[in-house]
Amino acid sequence: MQAVNEQKNVARGIDIESMQRGPRVNLANETLCLEVKDFNLFYGEKQALHGINMRIPKNRVTAFIGPSGCGKSTLLRCFNRMNDLIDSVKMDGQLLLDKMEINSPSVNVADLRRQVGMVFQKPNPFPKSIYENVAYGLRLQGVNDRVTLDKVVEQSLKGAALWDEVKDRLHDSAMGLSGGQQQRLVIARAIAIEPEVLLLDEPASALDPLSTLKIEELIYELKEKYTIVIVTHNMQQAARVSDYTAFMYMGELIEFGATDELFTNPSKKQTEDYITGRYG
Amino acid sequence: MVSNNSQHISQQFENELQDIRSRVLAMGGVVEQQVANAMEALVTGDSEMAREVITFDEQVNEMEISIDEECIQIIALRQPTASDLRLVTGIEKTITDLERIGDESVRIARMAINLSEKDRPKRNYRELQSLGNHVRGMLRDALDAFARFDVEMALRVAKEDREVDAEYEGILRQLMTYMMEDTRQVSRVVDMMWSARSLERIGDHANNICEHIIYLVEGKDVRHLSIEKAEKVVKGEPID
Repeated sequence: MQAVNEQKNVARGIDIESMQRGPRVNLANETLCLEVKDFNLFYGEKQALHGINMRIPKNRVTAFIGPSGCGKSTLLRCFNRMNDLIDSVKMDGQLLLDKMEINSPSVNVADLRRQVGMVFQKPNPFPKSIYENVAYGLRLQGVNDRVTLDKVVEQSLKGAALWDEVKDRLHDSAMGLSGGQQQRLVIARAIAIEPEVLLLDEPASALDPLSTLKIEELIYELKEKYTIVIVTHNMQQAARVSDYTAFMYMGELIEFGATDELFTNPSKKQTEDYITGRYG
Repeated sequence: MVSNNSQHISQQFENELQDIRSRVLAMGGVVEQQVANAMEALVTGDSEMAREVITFDEQVNEMEISIDEECIQIIALRQPTASDLRLVTGIEKTITDLERIGDESVRIARMAINLSEKDRPKRNYRELQSLGNHVRGMLRDALDAFARFDVEMALRVAKEDREVDAEYEGILRQLMTYMMEDTRQVSRVVDMMWSARSLERIGDHANNICEHIIYLVEGKDVRHLSIEKAEKVVKGEPID
């Protein structure tokens, strides 16, 4: 009987598999991209991250949420060694990108940042044309062939869902774009060099609601090709765009899990209190 | 867990959630009374009381609509998450079941009116009264479990549903025997069958309410599971 029903369902185009209860994603079935093992970070004497252990899956969106000062941006910046720029920072433990030790002295930081792109809260286009902004990374790599550049610029702008809005004014200054367009331009610039991972630090917090939705839509499309890690203060945004969510508090990872699960039935009381807006 | 003692930063939100909770309990009280009155009317042949039950159903419907509106307001304006979200959706479902229990009471009241115009049998509908008491007990306990967010109690009530189903089967068999014995009684016995059917449905709705309670407290979905499996899910044990 069950077999008959299954056949009928196939004939009707009904995907019973997708209607099972439980979260849509399962960490056990994922390919690993970034891994954090027993990671501690100090700013001088002050410990900002405490024994973090986390596995971030490939081609998924992982959101870091938590109150200000919980260490989520600090952790995000570790993935492309932005913290190298701060003298007083000390770290121990392991950070792995595809099993490669990120903090190893043998790693070329410029290469690492090509693999791990980053977009910040405030859009930071260069004071150049739209075209040159996107082509910048390739030119740095020594690519100057017009045909290649044209192709990459078009693909990247399309990938960042900006092409239709700027295709007639590619050589105008990027500074003339709106905030939301600038942010998408910065994402286009980041994906032009085909990174593996995209780190987004509050990418939509300076944007109006419609531009925010465009960025969120874009994030959804980008995960086909990239692993995305996003830090956001906007919990609803984390809930909408991410597959996995990490809740951090006072430098510790409190809970990591499928977003569906974490926002409907968190396992830790601290997570519950934070996402429902209660006193701790 | 819903037994979250900490307060929302927004006191207003806290009040809104408290408010829908107490309104569900108020609606539950009204519905419980409707069932009791319908049964009373059936057993005593009090058609006046039966008519009151039918008229009062309007109030139950109004309560459902107004709680529903408040839930939608909360979802739109507060975007609740985790236990708050489960509370709001759990309430949405609970009031649907309560409203349907109200409808079943109306059906029983209609049967009570029909039966009041016919000869009273010697047993005076004692078998229906016993099923009615059983089902009312389930409903009362389900509402208590809701008030206290008591999962253990919800599971106990859900277990009762099986007993109710068995009792209903028994009554059906008995009523069929009556019909065969005396065909002049068919119309009366059919009314009794409909009443028994309504009571059995009320038991099912009380069972549903218990499932909503388990979901809103534990975040675990036990719908359409046998009671044994539901208990395992609540304890976090694997099923199958």
